[in-house]
Amino acid sequence: MKILIADDSRVMRQIVVRTLRQAGFGDHDLVEAADGKEALDMATEQKPDLVISDWNMPHLTGIEVLRQLRAAGNNVKFGFVTSECTPEMKSAAEGAGAAFFIVKPFTAERFDEVFAPILG
Amino acid sequence: MSVEVEVDESDLAEMVEQVWESYLDPEGVSPLIPTYDENQPSEVHSSVSITGSWSGHVVYASSRAAAQRAAAAFLAMELEEVSEEDISDTLGELANIVGGNVKAMLPPGAQLSLPQVVLAPEASARFPNTERISGVYGMWEGEPVSISMWQSSTDNKEEGA
Repeated sequence: MKILIADDSRVMRQIVVRTLRQAGFGDHDLVEAADGKEALDMATEQKPDLVISDWNMPHLTGIEVLRQLRAAGNNVKFGFVTSECTPEMKSAAEGAGAAFFIVKPFTAERFDEVFAPILG
Repeated sequence: MSVEVEVDESDLAEMVEQVWESYLDPEGVSPLIPTYDENQPSEVHSSVSITGSWSGHVVYASSRAAAQRAAAAFLAMELEEVSEEDISDTLGELANIVGGNVKAMLPPGAQLSLPQVVLAPEASARFPNTERISGVYGMWEGEPVSISMWQSSTDNKEEGA
């Protein structure tokens, strides 16, 4: 499977990649986007099976990326990894069709719990 | 009057503990040991601003050695491999994570800024019209680390001059 990791923080992208490996999902094809616009373009062009996205990013926020993908008929599995977590954000994410919402800081156990059903 | 602050020292301490558990000390061998010394020195710091239902700043400050160690832990690198950019990125992310967790505990309508990183002591920073309302101060493997919250006074909002 191809997994797109979108986060404007290089350090956080690396932590997400490492945590995916620790949780046993390192064999998948991992690609990275450094902002929301790049995430939208890559999700459209490269057709990943899963998008793991930050919320607050330059150019387009994560929720805007998700909404634009859905508006274009793209139903890729999409969820958030974010340090900002409020009930409003969670319900906005669900309303837009997000599959998961992971709050930073996260552990490999949390990744396993969320991604095992998705990635098998 | 300002909104009542709903984030106290024990909340901050819990967030900090989660950061250590997840990224800085996953093996549970080098925790942040409390010193309760709000005047302990720092050499680098990062901050995020929160505005809206509560206004103020969340500041992460540490020695340079502790920042280097944090970057090495974040990036799974050896200490000597860590670059200046790695230290900046890590400090920014630490402020972002703690700030985001603080924001989640505030009343709805708060905005979180992007982090700002300054490779100079926290004492060199000024947050006008604010007061420190809580903080976690400790030593991590013998190096000082602190996380503090600064609340803006509400009397000055909308007032320019």
